[in-house]
Amino acid sequence: MNPEPILKAEGVVRSYGERRVLKGVDLSLRPGEIYALLGHNGAGKTTLVRAICGRLRPDAGSVLLNGADPARVPAARAGLGLVPQEIALYANLSVRENIETFATLAGVPRAQIPAAVRRAMELTRTLDRAGAPVRTLSGGFQRRANIAAAIVHEPTLLILDEPTVGVDIDAREAVDTVIRDLRGLGVAVLIVTHDLDQAGALADRVGFLRDGAMVLEGDPRALVAEAFGDQMEILVHLAEGLDMAGEIHLAAEGLEPTRRPGVWTRLDSGGYGAAGRLDARLRQLGLAPREIRVRQPSLANLFSLVAERKAA
Amino acid sequence: MSLAMMRVMALELWRDRAALVMTFLLPPLVFLIFSSVFAGTSGDNLQPKLAVADLARTDASRRVAAALLKSPDLRAETAPDAATVRVRVKSGQVDAGLVIRADPAAPGKPFLIVADPSRAVAAPLAQARTQQALAVAAPDAALRRSIDSVAPALGELTPVQSARVEAAAEQLRAKPQAVKDDLFDRQEITGARKGGAVIAYYAGAVMILFALFSAMQGALSLMEERRAGVADRLLAGVAGMGPVVTGKFLFLTAQAIVQAVMIFVVAQGVYGVEALQHFGLWLPTTLAAGVCSAGLALGLVSLCRTRDQAQMLSTFVILVLAAVGGSMAPRFLMPAWLQNLGWFTPHAWVIDAYQAVLWRDAGIAAVYKAWLVLAAIGAAGLIVAQVLSRDPQR
Repeated sequence: MNPEPILKAEGVVRSYGERRVLKGVDLSLRPGEIYALLGHNGAGKTTLVRAICGRLRPDAGSVLLNGADPARVPAARAGLGLVPQEIALYANLSVRENIETFATLAGVPRAQIPAAVRRAMELTRTLDRAGAPVRTLSGGFQRRANIAAAIVHEPTLLILDEPTVGVDIDAREAVDTVIRDLRGLGVAVLIVTHDLDQAGALADRVGFLRDGAMVLEGDPRALVAEAFGDQMEILVHLAEGLDMAGEIHLAAEGLEPTRRPGVWTRLDSGGYGAAGRLDARLRQLGLAPREIRVRQPSLANLFSLVAERKAA
Repeated sequence: MSLAMMRVMALELWRDRAALVMTFLLPPLVFLIFSSVFAGTSGDNLQPKLAVADLARTDASRRVAAALLKSPDLRAETAPDAATVRVRVKSGQVDAGLVIRADPAAPGKPFLIVADPSRAVAAPLAQARTQQALAVAAPDAALRRSIDSVAPALGELTPVQSARVEAAAEQLRAKPQAVKDDLFDRQEITGARKGGAVIAYYAGAVMILFALFSAMQGALSLMEERRAGVADRLLAGVAGMGPVVTGKFLFLTAQAIVQAVMIFVVAQGVYGVEALQHFGLWLPTTLAAGVCSAGLALGLVSLCRTRDQAQMLSTFVILVLAAVGGSMAPRFLMPAWLQNLGWFTPHAWVIDAYQAVLWRDAGIAAVYKAWLVLAAIGAAGLIVAQVLSRDPQR
């Protein structure tokens, strides 16, 4: 039997003046679940997070955190930890001093602070630099210290806002490991992110917020499978600086440019055979690919699809 | 929780050595500069520069000019003619000029004071010093001028009376006596503390100036916490920003007290201001000033939406309050309306309270009102900061 949700938001509506930012959003999280909230800028993610944190009251609908309204019952927020996108730490203080401070401000009893601080540093693997001022740490280390300060009071729900923005692959992997460990401890984790790869790799469920409405929600693998069936993604790496005629040829072959320069993509149910035929066709057109790869569609493809639906 | 925030503020300051030095060493240094600059404004140490041109070149005029050149109350120098005097005054080489146009005993106005309006206080001082020199060095001329001035009222002097006046004048010229001023007696209000009033004034003025300045800088950390997401983190928790604001308030108050200690240690050590002897009233005055600066700074910064706004507002407020309240120039030199306006600034209350305690030896009755005003300003600012920082939608 599924445990009771730690977070339960139902029909949340919120407007700023004439502009309706949230249009009846539902969201629930259970212990030990990782949920990735996705959406373009202005989709309503920040407003939804502020409602969950009790910083604004919905115009309609309800938010329950550990069974109580966080905007009206401060005690409901005792089980909430927030990791802001910025490094929300005091730069001249050491990692330990920062975590001690936030433990005190989170209401951890004084006698329990040393043990709580140690546990948070162990979980985030920051113990070996405990005495170092935050300003001297690498970006990845600062990210983990940022998380440590949010989990020192052992929250049941942890909200991470863009937890890996601006860090390298190793640092991102380290942050992901921390998040997985927290899930293992039964913490419900809500990640607000633009990093679709991270969301796909970590999340048990994802939700696409578009124009203030939750347009798609579920297990990321199931959603991708449902959206794309047996289609595969063909990635074509070409030389950069194609002329317009080349771009027209690629578009005629059903290829779309990606964010990476010189990389074009197409969904195709023909698998590796289709990739071979595409290779031959491109060579015929004088657009010999440097590399062609075939892979399962990802959340990024789904995200594009959702965006296309909006455009349509 | 508030103590945790006090600790954060203290550690942040301790580890920023430049800020630490500026916070605690700059105030006594600026105090030393201000007190040196303004120590003469009480008049007991004022030595205006005076250019003297003796055009009359009589015996009496030479004696007056020589007396002025020797006077310890002036820095007088000779000038060949009236034009040179005017040039020197205009160019700022001297504060005022004196042209002796005729024999001092002659009827009319033998002395001409050349004044620069931007140094208005120098002219009456030069005039007073000249009258003093006339009385001391040329009493015969003064006597003759006195007789001439009363003659129209008393009628013509008889030949015998005229002869007696001439004899008395000749005797005074030959053997000048110390002239007694029978009209005025003088009493120092508090013994022999030379220059202490201005020093006490500027100790208070610099204290509140820096307390507010440093408090504004400290309060700006509220903005930094908003920018860096610390406020978001705390507002999502149980305690919110309340303990953070209270902790900052306590730290900034303590910081102001330490700054005051640094300033008054120098004031006592260098100028003999009796802060230690008045510790019982000095401490609550300092505490009230610290509470006021901390609360005011937090309240003002909380009203702002961005760091730029807060920076601009704090600079503007610090400058205006300091100027109007008397931290930059002595209030007694200001016009009456500006002196009255000064009571709307904490600076005037702080300065007045310190002067009452340290210079006028006043008791609680003279300063309790200042304590209440300062504490009320601080409390109002703290309440504004608490209310606005708790607003979850800011």
